[in-house]
Amino acid sequence: MEQFILQRIKQVKKGDQSAFEDVISFYQGRIFQHCFRMLGNRHEAEDLAQETFIRAYVNIDSFDTKRKFSTWLYRIATNLSIDRIRKRKPDYFLDAEIKGTEGLDMYSQLAAGGRTPVEEVESLELKSSIQQAISELPPKYKGIIVLRYLEELSLHEISDIMDIPLGTVKTRLYRGREAMRKRLRHV
Amino acid sequence: MKCHGEAVKLMHQYLDGDMTTEEETALRSHLEGCETCQEHFHELKKTITLIKSTESVEVPEDFTRGVMDRLPQEKKRVRYRR
Repeated sequence: MEQFILQRIKQVKKGDQSAFEDVISFYQGRIFQHCFRMLGNRHEAEDLAQETFIRAYVNIDSFDTKRKFSTWLYRIATNLSIDRIRKRKPDYFLDAEIKGTEGLDMYSQLAAGGRTPVEEVESLELKSSIQQAISELPPKYKGIIVLRYLEELSLHEISDIMDIPLGTVKTRLYRGREAMRKRLRHV
Repeated sequence: MKCHGEAVKLMHQYLDGDMTTEEETALRSHLEGCETCQEHFHELKKTITLIKSTESVEVPEDFTRGVMDRLPQEKKRVRYRR
């Protein structure tokens, strides 16, 4: 199967767009899953997983066929997810002003039509504590925890995907596990 | 072993499958006599089991089609050559 996919990738490199369909079908499960675990919701995950494949297609010339395609895809998906998480972070601060709306902060947004703080808390309580704990991890630890324990990749592969030294992978894995332990010890 | 910190470091090495036989023996003998570290080790292993128990999600239907529809019409490279 891997050999077949490699052939298809080579065809895509030659300009055969239709060959990319098989490539997507083959990797979509893993990439969608990864985005979902990074972002915590289906809608954003679908959007980013699609974006991952589009970026891969547009940049296919820079992919070296001697390397693993899945590693390359995971790298694109992880970087996009981390970017997305960082961009949405300001929304979490209730006091933050919303761009272009002088003096209008998140409190007034909540009062006007949005969910009330109480509803917010109730819906959070319904979420599984585990998914919650994962989603609260800082993005650089989250990526590693997800790749290691949900995607079950080796430390070497994670180092390739995240483009960081093996020692850094181990340090972040250490901190990520400790952070998760503190959140889940009483579950 | 002098302190818990050292033992915790070894626990993580153990979880990464990255330790010598000597280190493994040192960790084992420390755990035998230290309840705090036993608890910590147990929590770490439980944490990993919990993380792994997260349910998986199905890919949305028509995902592949959705991507194919959003691809640029032609590769730029091809267009430039004209």
